[in-house]
Amino acid sequence: MDNIGVYAARVAPKFDGLAPGHRACIGCGEALAVRIAMKAMGPNIIIANATGCMEVISSQLPATGWDVPWIHTLFENNSAVASGIESALKVLERKGKVPARGTKVVAMGGDGATSDIGFQALSGALERGHDFLYLMFDNEAYMNTGIQRSSATPWGASTTTSPAGKKSIGQKTQKKNMAAIVAAHEIPYVATACPSYPFDMMEKVKKGLAVNGPAFINVFSVCPTGWRSAVDLSVRLGRLAVQTGVFPLYEVVNGKYKITVEPSPMRPVQDYLKLQGRFRHLSENDVKEIQERTIHEYNMLKARTTC
Amino acid sequence: MVKITINGRQVEAKENAKVLEVCRTNNFIIETVCAHESVSPYGNCRMCVVEITTKDGKNRVVPSCISKVEEGLDVKTNSEKVIAERKLSIQKLMARAPKSEVIKELAKKYGVDSTPLPLEDHQNCVLCSLCTRVCAEVVGVNAISKINRSTDPGALPYTVNFDACIACGSCAEICPTGAISLEDKDDTRTMAWPYQKHDFKMTKCKTCSRFYAPTKQLEYISGKSGQPMEFFAKCIDDR
Repeated sequence: MDNIGVYAARVAPKFDGLAPGHRACIGCGEALAVRIAMKAMGPNIIIANATGCMEVISSQLPATGWDVPWIHTLFENNSAVASGIESALKVLERKGKVPARGTKVVAMGGDGATSDIGFQALSGALERGHDFLYLMFDNEAYMNTGIQRSSATPWGASTTTSPAGKKSIGQKTQKKNMAAIVAAHEIPYVATACPSYPFDMMEKVKKGLAVNGPAFINVFSVCPTGWRSAVDLSVRLGRLAVQTGVFPLYEVVNGKYKITVEPSPMRPVQDYLKLQGRFRHLSENDVKEIQERTIHEYNMLKARTTC
Repeated sequence: MVKITINGRQVEAKENAKVLEVCRTNNFIIETVCAHESVSPYGNCRMCVVEITTKDGKNRVVPSCISKVEEGLDVKTNSEKVIAERKLSIQKLMARAPKSEVIKELAKKYGVDSTPLPLEDHQNCVLCSLCTRVCAEVVGVNAISKINRSTDPGALPYTVNFDACIACGSCAEICPTGAISLEDKDDTRTMAWPYQKHDFKMTKCKTCSRFYAPTKQLEYISGKSGQPMEFFAKCIDDR
């Protein structure tokens, strides 16, 4: 159900947890991703939000953009706070101090807060098996503080701390595969999603909330500011990332891999790279290398779905 | 604005608003099957029933999705009467769609484990009419209509006019029990409704050779928007 767009979109929930008027940049893919996720989750949630773009744009004192209970946490303890909320709710409900409403706990963070700084807290929370959903909004660098590289930055991307030049190609290392790392914790639900495929994403968020135990979704959020791309292209860039195989959409339910949006026929990665300023220094050979690696990684993923 | 009380809490509501809407905007959770904010209310599943007491003391149980608010109304969403009524509704839904996961889960929440009514499996269709309403009100093609309602248990619950249907998938998206399904495979989109099924042709993008939308839907959009069909020969990413 990935291309039923035009009419089915009108029956999507009207609930909007993130109020309009927030301070996100024009064309922000992350704000769009949050809104789509909120539609799927509904109002009966508590959010723990790590420091990052989403916290800064939505909560400038004395205003707040959130229509649901929301707490701002530090980079490193986001998952710990979320697991604390979940445990407290469980106890209070058992003691009858709050009515059992089936409130779910959601943790949100960027790629820096998840794959770099908050990683050990996340790993701990997953291992302890708390019933919460972690949404990682992956814009592939520390965009909020000025586009510094993170471990989720792809190879060859130019950022302010991995600038491209005569002696540097930009980011020298490959993107950390967070979904696979989290799947190795053997939690019930892991998925990758992209707001350019809203129905697919809403379905995954609903599944992640419904499972009993931890769930993790890696959400690809296009960032026109950091990626040096045109602001009207963020939804298209998300689609191209999926269709070129750079960011395949799949889910891992109890260890079983399944690709939800097949990128077939696969586009050349050039379609995706040429729209972004952070990749414009790449030579033809570099693009070829990225293409080969993308196909290799996609085949590896494909192999996992069959076993 | 009118003032009403829900479960002892005073809230303000717009005049002529429906009770269910007001409950939901004030975070009182009422789970329903046939209510959806995108289409007009219908009052069919009876899961949204609430107990109301009017200003002059009249007390009754009503479906909240079709009842309007009025000054001084006292609403109880979880009283004994209401729960009993909902349990009965669940038994009816269970008899209608015994295999549906959604209904099973709902039954579990209310502690209903069996139904005294005779089981008639209609392939998960509970006659909520969301698909007919969305087809008429949101899409505007009227491809689905209801026939032989509850008179003949063996008959079709719905009939689909395949000529009018544009395979947009709205009915599959809105169906609460998953009785309608949609599957894309290469150049065909297969849609399946209870007891009926149809294949629709997809249009191929000229540039990326991806099958990106059903041809009939593009024809319908082209007719409505006045864009020539050549415009739709390429998918949105290649235009």
